[in-house]
Amino acid sequence: MKMPESVYVLAVYDRQYRVFRKLLGSSLVSNVANPILFLFAFGFGMGSFIDTMSGMSYLTFVVAGMIGYSAAFAASFETSIGAFTRYFLQKNWDAILSTPVTLAELMMGEILWASVKALFSAICVLIVGWLWGGVPTSFEPLIALPIVFLGAICFSCAGLVATAYAKGYEFFSYFFTFWVTPMFVFCGVFFDIGRFPDVIQYFAWFFPMTHLVAAIRPLTAGTEVGVTAILLHTGYIIAFSVAAFWIAHRKLRQRLYD
Amino acid sequence: MKRPSVITATNLVKRYGTLEVVKGINFSVPAGQCFGLLGPNGAGKSTTMRMIMGLSEVSSGELEVFGESASAMSREVKAKIGLVPQESNLDPDITVLENLVAFGRYFALSKSIIDQRSKKLLDFMQLNDKKFAPVNALSGGMKRRLTIARALIGDPEMVILDEPTTGLDPQARVLIWKQLTELKKDGRTLLLTTHYMDEAQRLCDQIVVIDSGMILDQGTPDELIARHVKGFVFEVQKPNLAASPENRWEQEDIGDSVLYFVDDTAEFIADLPEEAIYLHRPANLEDVFLRLTGRKLREN
Ligand SMILES: Nc1ncnc2c1ncn2[C@@H]1O[C@H](COP(=O)(O)OP(=O)(O)OP(=O)(O)O)[C@@H](O)[C@H]1O
Ligand SMILES: [Mg+2]
Repeated sequence: MKMPESVYVLAVYDRQYRVFRKLLGSSLVSNVANPILFLFAFGFGMGSFIDTMSGMSYLTFVVAGMIGYSAAFAASFETSIGAFTRYFLQKNWDAILSTPVTLAELMMGEILWASVKALFSAICVLIVGWLWGGVPTSFEPLIALPIVFLGAICFSCAGLVATAYAKGYEFFSYFFTFWVTPMFVFCGVFFDIGRFPDVIQYFAWFFPMTHLVAAIRPLTAGTEVGVTAILLHTGYIIAFSVAAFWIAHRKLRQRLYD
Repeated sequence: MKRPSVITATNLVKRYGTLEVVKGINFSVPAGQCFGLLGPNGAGKSTTMRMIMGLSEVSSGELEVFGESASAMSREVKAKIGLVPQESNLDPDITVLENLVAFGRYFALSKSIIDQRSKKLLDFMQLNDKKFAPVNALSGGMKRRLTIARALIGDPEMVILDEPTTGLDPQARVLIWKQLTELKKDGRTLLLTTHYMDEAQRLCDQIVVIDSGMILDQGTPDELIARHVKGFVFEVQKPNLAASPENRWEQEDIGDSVLYFVDDTAEFIADLPEEAIYLHRPANLEDVFLRLTGRKLREN
C-alpha cells in the first residue's frame, strides 16, 4: 500500500471544484434558499408554538441543528449519489485509477471535496441563522466550524460506504431512508433527544450526527461549553470516520480491481 | 539486435471465479516497438491489458512491467504508461481542454507543463477547434482522439491502446495511424489491440494471436503470413475447382467458394479448369487470423 500523497488527493479535489464552479449559481441558490425555508418553517412556524427548547429560544435551538443537518445532507449526497455516478455511470474512477492516483487518494479527494462543500452549506445556514437572530454568540460559532468540517468528513466516509455497496441507484433509497432521514429525526436537530425513551436515545448516540449537533449547539447558542464533552463527541466522529473509510476502501478495492 | 523488454508475461493466468479467461500465456514486449495483441471477441485481450495496468489481479504466473510486478507497481512505473481503454471514460462534466488538464494533475504535473503539453496534444490530435467544447458534444471519432491525447499527457514511455480505431471513419483511422507511427518514432512502446487486420499489418512489428485465453502463434506479420498462408490466395468459386487431389494445395472451404493458399501462382493457375472463376491476391494477416482462429462466430 502506497502512502497517500496530497498532490494526488488535491488533483481529485480540483476536478470536483472545477465542475462545481460551473454550477456555482444554482448551488449558491439552493444552499441559501434551503436553510431559509427550513428556518422559516421551524423558526417562525413551530417557534410560535414552542417558546424554548433546552433553555434557549427554539430558533436558536434549530439553527445549530440545521447547521449540522445541512452539512450532513450535502456531504452524504455528494459521496453517495454523486460519487456513484462518477464511479458507476461515468467511469471516471476507472480513468483515474489508470493514472498514478491510488484508490485511497481518490477516495480522500472525493471526501475532501464533499466536506468542503458541506462546510460551505453549513456556513450559509450559520449566516442566515445569524441574520435571523438565531445566533446570540459572537466568535464561538467559528470554533464550531472545524467540528462541522470533521462531521462532514464522517458523513462523506459513510456515503462512500453506501457507494461501495450500491449495485444501482435504488440502493440509495435505503441509504437515505435508514441513514440520512434518521439523522434528521433522531439526532437532536429539531428536538432535544432527552425527550425520547432510553432505547431510542442509545440508538440516537450511534449516529455521528447526534454527537455533531451536541458538540456545536453550545457554541452557536451561547450556553455553557463543556470542553471534555466536545472532545468526546469529536473523538467519536473521528473513530466513526476511520471505520467507515476502512470499510469503503476494502469493498471498493474488491469491486474496482477484479 | 535484442531490445530490452518492457512487459514480460510468464505463464500468465486470469480466472474469474472458476472461469479461466487467460490460460497461461507467455510473451514479451520489446521496448520501442508496436506490439499487437490480436484475437476474436472474448479472447482475453482487454483482460490482459487490465492486468498490465495493475487494474486486474493476476491469478497466477508472472507479469512484469518495466521490471516491476504488475500487482505492485510503483508510482514511477505507473506514470510511464498511458492507457486508451476500450470503453470511453472521458469526463463528461468538463470540457475537452479540462479533460487534459485534470489528467495532467492526476499525473502530478506542474501547471506550466500541463499547459504546454495540452496545447501540443490538441494540435497533435487535431482537436484545437473543440478545445472548449463539452465532451458530450464530440463525435465518436473526436472522443477517441481525445482519449488518445489524454493518455499522452504524462509523456508515457509505453502507450496501451485497446481498439483505438473501432467505429471510426477511414479519415479518422488514417490520422490515428499516422500519429501512432509518430509515437513509435519517438521511441515509445505501443501495445495495441484491433480487429482490423490491415491496421495490425500496417502498424505492428510483433503480433501475438490469442484465442480463448491461449496463444495460437506469435511473430512479425511477415513471419506469420509465411508460416500460415503462403504467398498468395486464390478464391475460386464452386464448382470449378483445382483439378489436383485435395492434398496438393492448402485450401479452405468457405461456402460458395474455396480459398487456396499457394506459393507458385503459375503452377496453380495451370491446375485450374478453363472455366474457373477466381480472385487472386497476396495473402494478408486477415487470412492468417481466420486460419488460426477459425471462421466460427465467437461468444455464442
Ligand atoms: N469481470 C468479469 N467477470 C467475469 N468474466 C469476465 C469479466 N471480464 C471479462 N470476462 C470474460 O473474460 C473473457 C475475456 O474478456 P476480454 O474483455 O478480455 O476479451 P477481449 O479479447 O478484450 O474481447 P473483445 O474483442 O470483445 O473486446 C470473456 O469471455 C469475458 O466474458
Ligand atoms: Mg476487449
